[in-house]
Amino acid sequence: MKKLMSMLLVLFVSASFVFASGTQEAAVDADAPVTIQFWHAMSGDRIDLIQGIVDDFMAENPNITVEVQYSGSYDDTLNKVTSAFKAGNAPHVFHSYEIGTLGLIKSGITVALDDLAQKYDEPIDWDAFFGPIESYYKYQGLHYSMPFNTSSPLVYYNKTLFKKAGLDPENPPQTYSAIRDAAIALKKSGIDTPITWNLNAWYFEQMHYLQDAPYVNNQNGRGKELPTKILINQKPGKIALDWWIQMYRDGLFMDVGPGWSNHRAAFGAGEAAMIMSSSSDVNLLTKSLSEKGWEMGTGYLPRPEGAKGGVAIGGGSLWITDNHTPEEELAALKLVKYISSDKPQMAWHKGTGYFPVRTTAMDKLEKEGWFVDNPNYRKAFDQLLDSPSTLNTAGALLGVFPDARAIIESQIQECYAGKDVQKALDDATKEINALIAEWNEVIAY
Amino acid sequence: MNKSAFPNKYLPYVLLIPTFVILVVFLFYPAVETFRLSFYKVNPFSGAARFAGLYNFKNLFTNPAYLKSFFRSAVFAVGVVLVGLVLSLLLALLLNQKVKGAQVYRSLLIWPYALSPAIAGALFNFMFNPANGLMGYFTGIRTWLTHGNTALFVIILAAMWKNLGYNIVFYLTALRNIPTDALEAASIDGAGPIKRFFFITFTFLSPMTFFLLVMNTIYAYFASFGLIDVLTEGGPAGATNILIYQLYRDFFVNSRVGYAAAESLMLFMLVVLLTIVQFKTTERKVYYQ
Repeated sequence: MKKLMSMLLVLFVSASFVFASGTQEAAVDADAPVTIQFWHAMSGDRIDLIQGIVDDFMAENPNITVEVQYSGSYDDTLNKVTSAFKAGNAPHVFHSYEIGTLGLIKSGITVALDDLAQKYDEPIDWDAFFGPIESYYKYQGLHYSMPFNTSSPLVYYNKTLFKKAGLDPENPPQTYSAIRDAAIALKKSGIDTPITWNLNAWYFEQMHYLQDAPYVNNQNGRGKELPTKILINQKPGKIALDWWIQMYRDGLFMDVGPGWSNHRAAFGAGEAAMIMSSSSDVNLLTKSLSEKGWEMGTGYLPRPEGAKGGVAIGGGSLWITDNHTPEEELAALKLVKYISSDKPQMAWHKGTGYFPVRTTAMDKLEKEGWFVDNPNYRKAFDQLLDSPSTLNTAGALLGVFPDARAIIESQIQECYAGKDVQKALDDATKEINALIAEWNEVIAY
Repeated sequence: MNKSAFPNKYLPYVLLIPTFVILVVFLFYPAVETFRLSFYKVNPFSGAARFAGLYNFKNLFTNPAYLKSFFRSAVFAVGVVLVGLVLSLLLALLLNQKVKGAQVYRSLLIWPYALSPAIAGALFNFMFNPANGLMGYFTGIRTWLTHGNTALFVIILAAMWKNLGYNIVFYLTALRNIPTDALEAASIDGAGPIKRFFFITFTFLSPMTFFLLVMNTIYAYFASFGLIDVLTEGGPAGATNILIYQLYRDFFVNSRVGYAAAESLMLFMLVVLLTIVQFKTTERKVYYQ
């Protein structure tokens, strides 16, 4: 009798669960016609590419209308979204850069993706995502936004010029000293400034992760407390910047300034034989070298001898804003889920060079023979997959990233002009820590 | 008897309402709001603000980068205004001669003004960039934009070139309005072309020069951040980080609203001060017909 009672109880309880989840779903009319807005920050022919993906989504979900809008750069988009949110008409889905992640989590204008997925019983299969991509966007156990366009830095080198300098064109240098030696050999073969990359603190961040070192405190910004200090004036930062600046001072490294075109131009013209750039430049650089009859190779980012870290991803993700009706929230959730699915991700990869975010999409590309025809795409994946999974290689989270980058870049330029590396790093640290303290205060208002 | 054209004495005010609404919404309200926010610390997302007294101003004036920026802005403004005015006056004088095809030259010289700052920046990047710039090829010097002082020089050149068309148009108009009898009288009295220029032409041009001086100062301080964003991003090491560019970054990129408001207020006061000084010192020498 007791047994029967407990069985009945179990039945009753589980039935009520089913009922409860049933009622919750019933509260949302998943087929009701609904219109949502989607703002993104991808310009040029990527506008059409995204429109095409969204059109496919609407064909699959005839009750949902998505108004897609290119809203300017990441910074512009973020400013427009915050203003729109204050005015009560924020877009349901928007696109932001990876360095805005911590700010948006704490902003109060977004909802965590995992919370929505649970609320509407639309689970997201995070196991199908690439580990480094999934872990970048996970903060204290919750995924807040949907990974979208993802890249990492990569070394590009000119195989033809390598051969001319007596270097092995199939084995690119992978350590600090090997890169330096290769640069010296290339210089001897007649290339005045054989190595370059654009002035961007992104590379300096990666140089920390490659040494498995944190960039900010409190578990690289991913701990319970907000990060309070940037850790760039420690040994890993010093080692990296010393190597970089010394190559500049010895005339091996060409200072091309900030922006994303000068280092590509130097590489395309053969002024430089080795550069670092985003993995999404594969297409462009292969093309510009083959126009000159040169062959291009790709390699892993260099690291100090014996360092055991890896690279972290960069790029952007899709966020859902707060304060919308359940129907709209569900439609927004379906949209970001669709964009991260295999078919659109494969189209996106082929059209732009960004990684597909899911391993399943990658497998399909492999089956198609995509990497046989485009071997240089392979290296960026391998580099990412060879990276150990730690809090450091997950990438730092920091509220004042744009400002911190500008300060570090300015200090690097001071080093070009002769400033002591340790002094430059100390000065940058002091300035950035003051900004972090201010940000941590105002974000709690 | 000065009889009003309006039958109703309220009508003029009614007709002014649209202008006034625009001024209030887009000018007065933001100005007052900027003034208020410069005394606050502001959350970048919600806009929630707490009074912070002179916190932002204290930060501003203890930041060596900001003080450097003050100095670089002054050099930039002097360069753009002085070189720009001299050169455009010279060009306007040449264009005012009766030469064949003057109209064609005139249109060509005015073109740069129609370009957006970003395009102008891209053009100068094409010439001066360290990777494959034309100037690198012709002069053998690659570091135009990556050394502080040459970078500032290029920025001044670009900003000045961009505004040349504007100045030329105004100078040409002013040259057309110089009464020829004054020039003729001077010739009869035996004044040579150089004397004629300095004593007659330049005197008649002085109101226009004064107007352009004020306008160019405002241009140099407020309207050139697009160029800098494309060419140097304020670098190398802050060498071209003029006040308006730092302000743009602090508000639109770094989202430091209170700090940016304080910067904005300082910049506003600086330009007002400069304009007052210009009126007090230069306007006395201006000859109005």
